[in-house]
Amino acid sequence: MTRYIIRRLIHSIFIIWGVATLVFFGLRAIPGDPVVQFLGAEYSPEAAEALNKKLGLDEPVYVQYFKWLSNTIQGDLGDSIATGETVDEAIRTGFPKTISIAFVAFVLALVIAIPTGVIAALKRNSWIDYVVSVIAFIGVSMPSFWFGIILIILFAVRLNWLPAVGYSSIEDDGLWEWFKHLVLPALAVGAGFSAILMRFVRAGLLEVLGSDFIRTARAKGLSERSVIIRHALRNALIPVVTIAGIQLALLLSGTVIIEIVFSIRGLGRILVGAILDKDYPIVQGVILLVSVIFVLANLVVDIIYTFLDPRIRYE
Amino acid sequence: MEEERTTKRLADIDWSVLSGPRVSRRTMMRLAAATGAIPLASWLAACGGDDDDDDDDDDDGGTTDPTEADSGGSDDATAIDEPEDDEPTATSGQEISGTAAEATPTSDTEANQGGTLTMGFGTVTQILTLDPAQVTQGIVAGELIANIFSSLVQFDENLGVVSDLAEDWTVSEDGLEYTFNLRDGLTHHNGDTLTAEDFVYTYERTTNEEFASPHANKLNLVTDITAVDDLTLSLTLSAPFAPFLAVACSRGPGRALTPISRRAIEEMGDEDFGLSPVGCGPFKVVEGSREVGQGLELEPFEEWYGGRPLLDRIVIQIIPEPSSQTSALEAGDVDMLNIVDETGVELIQSNGDLVLVQAPGTSWSGLTMNFTRPPWDDVRARMAVSKAIDREDYVERTFFGLATPGHSAIAPAFGWVYHADDPENPQAYDLDEAKRLAEEVGLDGTTAVLMALSDNSRAQEVIRNAMTEIGVEVEIQPLQSAALNERWQAGDFDFHINGSVVDADPDDGHANFFYSDGPWNVYGYNNPEADELMNKTRETNDLDERRQAWLDLEKVLQTDVAYAFLSHSIDFTAFHQDVKGYRNIPEMRYMETVWLDR
Repeated sequence: MTRYIIRRLIHSIFIIWGVATLVFFGLRAIPGDPVVQFLGAEYSPEAAEALNKKLGLDEPVYVQYFKWLSNTIQGDLGDSIATGETVDEAIRTGFPKTISIAFVAFVLALVIAIPTGVIAALKRNSWIDYVVSVIAFIGVSMPSFWFGIILIILFAVRLNWLPAVGYSSIEDDGLWEWFKHLVLPALAVGAGFSAILMRFVRAGLLEVLGSDFIRTARAKGLSERSVIIRHALRNALIPVVTIAGIQLALLLSGTVIIEIVFSIRGLGRILVGAILDKDYPIVQGVILLVSVIFVLANLVVDIIYTFLDPRIRYE
Repeated sequence: MEEERTTKRLADIDWSVLSGPRVSRRTMMRLAAATGAIPLASWLAACGGDDDDDDDDDDDGGTTDPTEADSGGSDDATAIDEPEDDEPTATSGQEISGTAAEATPTSDTEANQGGTLTMGFGTVTQILTLDPAQVTQGIVAGELIANIFSSLVQFDENLGVVSDLAEDWTVSEDGLEYTFNLRDGLTHHNGDTLTAEDFVYTYERTTNEEFASPHANKLNLVTDITAVDDLTLSLTLSAPFAPFLAVACSRGPGRALTPISRRAIEEMGDEDFGLSPVGCGPFKVVEGSREVGQGLELEPFEEWYGGRPLLDRIVIQIIPEPSSQTSALEAGDVDMLNIVDETGVELIQSNGDLVLVQAPGTSWSGLTMNFTRPPWDDVRARMAVSKAIDREDYVERTFFGLATPGHSAIAPAFGWVYHADDPENPQAYDLDEAKRLAEEVGLDGTTAVLMALSDNSRAQEVIRNAMTEIGVEVEIQPLQSAALNERWQAGDFDFHINGSVVDADPDDGHANFFYSDGPWNVYGYNNPEADELMNKTRETNDLDERRQAWLDLEKVLQTDVAYAFLSHSIDFTAFHQDVKGYRNIPEMRYMETVWLDR
């Protein structure tokens, strides 16, 4: 197991390096000069030249690449061209926000999806099942930004229960304020995810409920509750974990639009803004982090399998 | 009395108002004569290249758009597009529409001290820098930096230039010598005394080539700057430059000479200074509160010469998405919006808890046609295009009617020269004539690439539809701003919609675009007569002459179809009823007089 993890980690390094390299050269292939962007269209050639030099953009691309690579390995991600803040700083301020949204969205999604999925499976083809299915269908189809705006109008503007925009950190304002600011964005971003999860829980459970070991469990005289929760659900969760892993990563990228709607400057907004501004160091730094997250999320999913299904072993 | 009031309203920006009571009449007259400055917020050196309706970060989208919300109650609300004959007149600086009358600047209740005001800050997704000499986001300069930094002079509600750090000043008869007398006992936020020497340092810093300030060009004409003593600053220009005070010395727009503390720069370095500057204005940045894309907090600067501002704190919260801005205001998350997007105007107007304030726009927007590419080198082709565009319809569909249809590059805020109606406008909408011209030049079947920013293409769609009438097929090409700026500079386009945003003086919106060697003249316009008239507006000391020169120039630009002029923006802001003391100065948000009635 340990060997497996180490091997996976080594693979991961190559994957991350590959992604970072692609991004590095890809960015430079997109039309638009970061210096022109920064100085505005009324730039003078002298100013542009001075800035190019200051930023090291006057050197050949491969030289820039190796410099960047060596700095990155030493933990120096550079400074933003547009704002002068360090990439570290941008990530340090943005990451907690994105993770918070993704985390709360994830938890809310699980809290909604598992019980409804279980009920839908147990009451298969009843009206409850149909209602849940329709809601799930709507949840999947609904664009998150639209749902976000509807949530704001309903819960912030009309009912005044929750704040419309912004983010509060736990250190500054405490857990409750933090949570209050996250409920709406998390619901908006998590709705689709929750719907997908719910469908998987339902389908997984139905499949498992028909299998022999469940019949055996029932024959042993176990309570229905114990059959469902201890035996059926646990086995039904394997595909759910797979999908959750993929979705968690998507959740991290899916928060972009939600971060704009809710005025939270998380990683997504930082990344999109930086792409538009041609802010190379920020794009490179953030993509690096995101690829690390994707790779780790996948690894964690694989490890969780072994707990859910002892038959799965990695060598 | 009544008459006097009317005159004042009509002539908000008229010279006699400029010579108002705050500085001696004589000084102001001399100033006015020598400068022609009818200030307005200026900034935005880099403002030219974007679409009129874009909200992109780097160009200050401050001004998205124009006009006239339906006049919720006050007659004045329509003043913006009403002609009012062609006296030097027009558009008053403050139209309050919506619910409002009582919530205006002058309230009878006594001002309270204290409280925290949260301001939703729109049109930018991040504040790039707070260093005045480096700011290219005009809205950040006029609405944020203006609260952190004072400058030599500032604007009043009527867009007159009044005293700020300089108690008074004189300008020589020939317009070349400026002498500013600073107030006694001024300090920077770090406690250092602010003297004339600071301006000399600021001049050196801004004009340092390595520093690459986008505003250095505002100081091109300065041949000498001297601290005569601690409280006396003298400046010499190589030629008279009418808008100098507004574009280089004013609080907010005058970024080039906004005083910087040398010690602060030496201690912090330019980059940290840009993140959290040491200013000298009514508010200072709360230490550690600045988060690039999220906002910052301001607290009162107790030692500001004008006295402690009334609020205890201003929280600036960036809200990029227009619908979220309106929601945040309605929900009470924020007390005020710096800018109201045209999509939010109606909602705010219909909400009795909110006050919508509007000021005439300081910008213009138009369709440029590349003179270097046939058939657009032919004035008849350009005129056909221009005459095929119904401005009323354009404004209706692009800005939901919340803009002023345009016929020139002179913005409505410049009431002393702007005239809403132009019966002789050669570019006026006339489809038959457009078709006739198009046929004459053989435009049928021509295709034109209309370069646009990728985020919003309402304006481009309207133009595309209009062009089908004269047989021109428009291909809209959406680009990101970096790519667009490059293409613009390279002159690689057929059509583009842009203009000048947030100008301090008509000079700002003309010189860059219409001088044959202007930095924004990438589309090949070259008419010696226009050059000559622009020179005249800069050099003349006579007000009537200057005004006439602008009007003559306007006619030349219209006839040449230098641009097909389209529209002017309106400056909207909004707040809750309990926000009092707001001074409605177009494109600016001076916050020291604002207080909360709670």
